[in-house]
Amino acid sequence: MLEGFTAWLEQSDLTSTFSDTTRMATWLIIPTSQSIHLVCVAVVMISVAIINLRLLGIAGNRQSFAQLTSHLMPWVWTALIILAITGAIQTIAEPGRELLNIGFRSKMVMIAITVAIMMVYESTIKRDPRYWDHPAKRRRYGRILAAVSLVLWLGIVVAGRLIAYVDTRPEI
Amino acid sequence: MNWLIGILQGINDSALADNIRGTVWVFPTIETVHIVAIVLVFGSITRLDLRLLGLVWRNRPVTEVAGEMLPFTWVAFVIAAIFGLLLWSSKPLSYFGIAFFDVKMILIVFAGTNMLYFQLITFKNVAQWDRDPVPPRAARLAGGLSLAIWLGVVFCARFIGFVQDAQ
Repeated sequence: MLEGFTAWLEQSDLTSTFSDTTRMATWLIIPTSQSIHLVCVAVVMISVAIINLRLLGIAGNRQSFAQLTSHLMPWVWTALIILAITGAIQTIAEPGRELLNIGFRSKMVMIAITVAIMMVYESTIKRDPRYWDHPAKRRRYGRILAAVSLVLWLGIVVAGRLIAYVDTRPEI
Repeated sequence: MNWLIGILQGINDSALADNIRGTVWVFPTIETVHIVAIVLVFGSITRLDLRLLGLVWRNRPVTEVAGEMLPFTWVAFVIAAIFGLLLWSSKPLSYFGIAFFDVKMILIVFAGTNMLYFQLITFKNVAQWDRDPVPPRAARLAGGLSLAIWLGVVFCARFIGFVQDAQ
């Protein structure tokens, strides 16, 4: 899967520009992009940590779940957009290293699930700010969702780091 | 500088360093924990910095935001420091002469000094401005400095690996 697209991308001018380490200006692209990526990961991680720990009843109890979520989610969405852009730059620079990589692929799947959970949070509190407070059964579901979400977010960072170590490109 | 290289070589040859290098998954695991921790340090401290600058949570008392964020910062910083030290000790010579590494360490000392000054002096009369949407200049300065310093730490950290590779 994606081998054809990867091969096509690898031949593109963009890839050769982003991966050209012989000139300072182009050499700077990837470390700079990765630094911005890391800053945005931090913005997302602390926000989702607080939001999910609040739903678990562990932290952030000075504010309601709805207050915390509606304050933090715009930060999360903005950071996610920048993460997608910087992530795309890094992928274009080394298409095979990313697109054919099991770490990268599991990361994308986990991001899709966590983003879906975030959208559930946002749409439910829009309907009812106290949606997750009652009844007891729904509160339990909320806690399970929060625990799953936290584990997945951690998994995303782990998978992201592993991309550098599990190069699954076929031998040439 | 010969004595320093001797010390670094000694750390490099130690059993601990040997163990970290010896197994394929140990270094990446330590590195992952280090990154999760630094991400939480940066994420939490900058939330407080932004509050001190009057840019977020303006309706919340500064002490409330600090109480929510600083536990994350401290716990994560201790973990980041321990795991960072382990990473460094596995190949100390490879960080020798890397300017980004030196600057990163100096910036962390700056961040600590800035925080200490803030805690001991600026924060003393927090009761007077706790609920101010935009805190007084000294607090804004501490927040702005902290934000800039930690951004510098993250950029330096990311550049270390690239400069190492280029050598």
